[in-house]
Amino acid sequence: MNANVPASIGELQALVKAHDRIHVVGNGSKPALHHGAGDAALAGAGGFCGIIEYQPQEFTLTAGAGTPVSVIAAELKRHGQYLPFDPLLPNSSTIGGTVAANLSGARRYRYGGIRDFILGARVVDGLGRAFRVGGKVVKNAAGFDLSKFLVGSLGHYAIMTELTFKVFPEPPQHRALRLRYAALPDILDAVYYLNQNIYELDALEFAPADAGWSLLLCLAGFEDTLPSRILALQESLRADTAGLDGGEGDDVNAAWQPLAGLTGDYLVKVALAPKQIPGLDARVSHLKRRYSIGGNLAWVATDDLKMLDALLLEQGLRGLCIRGAASSPLLGMPLEVSLAARVKQVLDPMNKFV
Amino acid sequence: MNHPFIQALQQIYPAERLLTRDVQLLPYESDGLTAFQTKPGAVALPVDEDEIISTVRLCHQMEVPFVARGSGTSLSGGSLPIADGLIIGLNRMNRIKRIDPRGRIAVVEPGVINLHITHAVEPYGLYYAPDPSSQSICTIGGNIAFNSGGAHCLKYGMTSNHVLGMKVVLADGTVTQFGSESLDGVGIGPDLVGLFVGSEGLFGIALEITLRLMPAPQLYRTVLAAYDNLGRAGDAVSMVVASGLLPGAMEIMDRLSIKAAEAAVAAGYPPDAEALLIVELEGEALQVEAEFAQLQGVIEESGAFEVRVAQSEEERARIWKGRKSAFSAVGRLSPDFIVQDGVVPRSRLGEALQEIDAIKSKYGLDVANVFHAGDGNLHPLILYDGREAGALERAEALAGEILAMCVDLGGSITGEHGIGMEKRDYMPAMFSDQELEIMMALRRAIDPKEIANRGKMFPGVEAPALQQHGLHPLEKQGVISRE
Ligand SMILES: Cc1cc2nc3c(=O)[nH]c(=O)nc-3n(C[C@H](O)[C@H](O)[C@H](O)COP(=O)(O)OP(=O)(O)OC[C@H]3O[C@@H](n4cnc5c(N)ncnc54)[C@H](O)[C@@H]3O)c2cc1C
Repeated sequence: MNANVPASIGELQALVKAHDRIHVVGNGSKPALHHGAGDAALAGAGGFCGIIEYQPQEFTLTAGAGTPVSVIAAELKRHGQYLPFDPLLPNSSTIGGTVAANLSGARRYRYGGIRDFILGARVVDGLGRAFRVGGKVVKNAAGFDLSKFLVGSLGHYAIMTELTFKVFPEPPQHRALRLRYAALPDILDAVYYLNQNIYELDALEFAPADAGWSLLLCLAGFEDTLPSRILALQESLRADTAGLDGGEGDDVNAAWQPLAGLTGDYLVKVALAPKQIPGLDARVSHLKRRYSIGGNLAWVATDDLKMLDALLLEQGLRGLCIRGAASSPLLGMPLEVSLAARVKQVLDPMNKFV
Repeated sequence: MNHPFIQALQQIYPAERLLTRDVQLLPYESDGLTAFQTKPGAVALPVDEDEIISTVRLCHQMEVPFVARGSGTSLSGGSLPIADGLIIGLNRMNRIKRIDPRGRIAVVEPGVINLHITHAVEPYGLYYAPDPSSQSICTIGGNIAFNSGGAHCLKYGMTSNHVLGMKVVLADGTVTQFGSESLDGVGIGPDLVGLFVGSEGLFGIALEITLRLMPAPQLYRTVLAAYDNLGRAGDAVSMVVASGLLPGAMEIMDRLSIKAAEAAVAAGYPPDAEALLIVELEGEALQVEAEFAQLQGVIEESGAFEVRVAQSEEERARIWKGRKSAFSAVGRLSPDFIVQDGVVPRSRLGEALQEIDAIKSKYGLDVANVFHAGDGNLHPLILYDGREAGALERAEALAGEILAMCVDLGGSITGEHGIGMEKRDYMPAMFSDQELEIMMALRRAIDPKEIANRGKMFPGVEAPALQQHGLHPLEKQGVISRE
């Protein structure tokens, strides 16, 4: 992709003013989001790169929107902290792209998603205005919270140049547990059981495996209590749910990489509630798939995007294609239009951002 | 109020749910910010969604301003009526429509009382996390309008972080829906839930809300540490944070609030403390115990002269009772008071407190400090005697200086009480003209006639006359207390 990479806010404003159609790219790590851009001018966020302010004591970090997630993660790690919303593609994406597409990984299960950790942003809108939304402290109730609106906005409303997040101390240790279940209903029962009990899981994922289904759990905490917590969890899952075999010892990284092994031309995120899984799964049982964050999100790989689009629509679900040459990344149910259109009217009245 | 409008309302509401007589309107003249009073034109009390929608559409059509009202506990004048406008009172919209314990969600109407949700889901081992100290009386609709918080918001966030989806009627009568029952909320597309929460009733009325529930903590560990100066308590907070712990709550009280709380509820706080720090750990028992061991080490090193650990649920409740009653307790020491709500970066808490000390000496007024130290959210309580000429004006000026200081230190003019009527004039201290213009444009795009909560949030609109400050009528009756 040949993007213009403005080096300053001024240059970005000029770019916006000079073009009728603009499409924003971070690092291009989710190509499916960019196929519909057509002949629009590409604006890269790479010029807004680097950590601008980081105060570990404050639990806040501000970075340029084009900063690679890996750079932020490494700096946080040096201070024993992390981004609890767990960016999905830590090695290839920018922080701005992660926010725009709202892509979280497995560890989002513990404390929340991007919307729960974004505090503020600087943006340039479709009129070329540069301004700030939200704040820089962990708590702020002044004004409309447009920073949360940017999460999932796919660059259609404004171009982010700077983002501020709440960050948390990272638990010192992690352990993973894998249990096999005979069938999906058994796994869902286990998820419901866990939902109503106080196991503070770092991640809760499941996917079909060789003979049945595999439930992957992660716990985080202190070295001296983790073994007994894992054991208690394992025992109660064996006693109170239909867990067959399995145990500790899995590499936690396996639990944290929801996309591993999901081969197929297209890769689609589906937002759903656990109770909607049986209906969906029955129709995608021939596809590679994984259910993430306690069954509140599905990753489905397919070669036939049209089929999946129609299926999601039929089931009242929405999907976002992040890999593959999709004409539009949005699948299934149309997005809300009434309130979002008002924001569009204010931030991008000439419909520049596509 | 104009007749055609009332007549049209009569088509929607039976007489007992449409209040127009002066005596009926009296209870709606004010909210938790008792300084302001305005008489509304009428009060409508809808019992279902359709009534609310018809009412909003009627207001839009006839250009009559309206204010949605939950329990009227707003401390920033958010639910203050508009003169001759309509109050849409939502207390009868108080059904919990559905509880799905397996999916850990509840679907509620906007008039449901915050604490009632926890009561309803307790049998399933669940609770609704955000805990404003008005939670026994304030509504989810009001919580949504202000993104309300509480003492336990450090770890799991404020109201916004617990709303997954909602159905709303926008101010122009458009009904729309966003979010879902997924933990991912809106998930795909811009986060409209995040935008609506905190919009202070200016976008429209929330009709139905899907809330996230959480498993009730298995164990609490509550520590009370006494210090011989306020700065040291502030430093202790930094030490806890630096140690990598993430407590559920971290609260500080200063000498004046300790004394007041002691006098009011005999919490048994150490009598000579200059400052108290409450730290509470919560969650899975084994993990909490491990964190507690670490916390004890940190508190020991922090120079506390006395440390108490709650040994039972009763002791824990007592520690919190003192804390939660502190403000109304201080209020009893003084004829009048103003509660402020500002935020500073946590690491500048010490500086902020010194600055408040200096400001108050300049004005010759007392200020008690109680705050959510974990997130730098200050609640200075300014004491004055309204019978003294000029005292109210001095108290207001003092409050203004504290807010200006919060902005100077890189914080915010409100952490959880909102802008409402009270802080409109401080908005320009935080936002540029352009930023304000964009927010106002957004408001007009949603509400072209500016009928929803007209006169709130944005500067430059004429304010109703100041009357007096003091306890909320419900506080006087001891029903609620504030943080
Ligand atoms: C003693 C006391 C203690 C308090 N402690 C805290 C605290 O710890 N933390 C905290 O954050 N706040 C606190 N508050 C402030 C207040 O309780 C909160 O702001 C609360 O959320 C208001 O709820 P309510 O139902 O009383 O709303 P109201 O005061 O009736 O309304 C508040 C705002 O919400 C809007 N609104 C109401 N319903 C809806 C709806 N359905 N859709 C859209 N807008 C709506 C109104 O128009 C208004 O602008 C306290 C107040 C008091 C009096």
